[in-house]
Amino acid sequence: MDNQKVVLNILADLTGEDLADRMDEDIFENGLLDSMASVQMLLSLQEELGIQVPVSEFNRDEWATPNKIIAKVTSLEKE
Amino acid sequence: MDNIIETIDQVAEADPKRIAYDYLGRTNTYGDLKRRSDAWATKLVTMQLKQGQPIMVWGGQTFEMIACFLGCVKAGHAYIPIASYSNAERLVMIQEVSQASLVIAIDVLPDIALPGLQVLRPADVPDQHPAIDASQAVHGDDTFYIIFTSGTTGKPKGVMISHRNLLSFVNWEQRNFKLPAQPNFLVQAPYSFDLSVMSLYPALTSGGKLVVLPHDVTQDFKQLFATLPQLQFNVWVSTPSFAQMCFLDPTFSSKQHPELSHFLFCGEELPHSEVLALKKRFPTSHIFNTYGPTEATVAVTQVEITDDILAKYDRLPIGFAKADTQITLDETKGEAGQGELILAGPSVSKGYLNNPEKTKAAFFRSAGATDNSYRTGDAGFFAEKQLLFYSGRIDFQVKFNGYRIELEEINFYLSQNDLVRYGVVAPKYNRNHTVKQLVAEIELTKAAQDKYSEAELTKRLRASLAKQVMPYMIPQRFVYRSALPISQNGKVDIKQVIQEVNQ
Repeated sequence: MDNQKVVLNILADLTGEDLADRMDEDIFENGLLDSMASVQMLLSLQEELGIQVPVSEFNRDEWATPNKIIAKVTSLEKE
Repeated sequence: MDNIIETIDQVAEADPKRIAYDYLGRTNTYGDLKRRSDAWATKLVTMQLKQGQPIMVWGGQTFEMIACFLGCVKAGHAYIPIASYSNAERLVMIQEVSQASLVIAIDVLPDIALPGLQVLRPADVPDQHPAIDASQAVHGDDTFYIIFTSGTTGKPKGVMISHRNLLSFVNWEQRNFKLPAQPNFLVQAPYSFDLSVMSLYPALTSGGKLVVLPHDVTQDFKQLFATLPQLQFNVWVSTPSFAQMCFLDPTFSSKQHPELSHFLFCGEELPHSEVLALKKRFPTSHIFNTYGPTEATVAVTQVEITDDILAKYDRLPIGFAKADTQITLDETKGEAGQGELILAGPSVSKGYLNNPEKTKAAFFRSAGATDNSYRTGDAGFFAEKQLLFYSGRIDFQVKFNGYRIELEEINFYLSQNDLVRYGVVAPKYNRNHTVKQLVAEIELTKAAQDKYSEAELTKRLRASLAKQVMPYMIPQRFVYRSALPISQNGKVDIKQVIQEVNQ
């Protein structure tokens, strides 16, 4: 499964919504993801993709839309 | 131990330089605690408040908060902790219910008119060394603290916990968790949440230390994971969901926290998978699950989650009743083989402040008994050797991230909104039976239909709820439906909505 699918699946599980056609929507701004849910998202990403999110450098703005999350995940995989 | 206030003062007299409080590296000693709490008590006595009247305390998790709590009880008054991240509306509602005439503003109060309310600030309380008349302190069945929980009609309920209630709880915690002699406790929960009491008084009455991880730090990953590895303590106290969040930090392990020997969980269901993950990171730590409603003083059952228990049970037990407490099942409620948990013992509250109606509905005294009984609304069952298991609620109360929420309270405010014909909030559960999300299912009024986009509606409903309920009660999702299911009695069928959300 590619990163886009994994991310969208995790987000769908957390928010109950399919965000495939809303890839640039700010999911913190519209309240879909709060801080506890964003933790769940990172834990799921860690589990499913094996990436280590550097939480001490976590900047919410860099994770605010589905597209941004995918970009972030892809760059972390290369590290 | 038979007196909490005196025991803490005895620690201060025996060892005034011992560290009692560590707030991000800023420390205070037991000597400071005695001096400052005496100063608060002295000031409060001179104010001549009505006898036994509770005092509201608005603030975060600084040292001045706990000095002020002790000052209140030394002066003979119960304190009502209110976290300063609450909205102004909550402050007003708590004053209405409690009829308090004084609020102590450790943090700056919201900018609203508070008629009939005196305000006292730390700067008004000079540091002094007065002699305190110990006989006026809270004792016996006097109320020690009052914690406000959510109510079903928008009116919060103030649970009164007496000195006797608290004493029973603290003695139990000190004896039954294999704690070190002078334990250092993590304080993560805000003081308005009674989980904090699991750290606060067991630490202070045994000469231990409170190591604070403040609420605003925990709300920001960057700060949380910069701070947590720096803290050293023996006893972790939190909700299971907070500990889960800390798993994000790879350094959260016995290597970084060699002193951490105990985990005490309370406030929501502890998932089996979480204990497995925790044991990997902290192989030698003692992990305890506990259970209890605020109405019975923090917790009334405990069990160490051993490898045996993990192997035997997929859904973990909540534990054995404390020795002074009887837990019985009311089998007329709940499904076959289980029943509503009824608690009776010295830690059961006398009831809700200024609310005889709700008190009567939930509390009773059996003939000849010296202690109150409380109907928890929780369903459960006993397995071998009186080991208790939780199976769910018999009403519409949920635990979300450790916070106790009456869904009907949110429904009440939602339905007050001009845009809403019917509004029902449903919990969405994950596979560990944990609430993961609150979903508001909305049927709009005729006037509101087609007037706004869904995004605009959600924005408006959120903004209006933000003024009326605590931040953790605002639903994550808003779903708009042409009609909600109606039950036979003509009301919205809440159970049906909850079922649909979890399909």
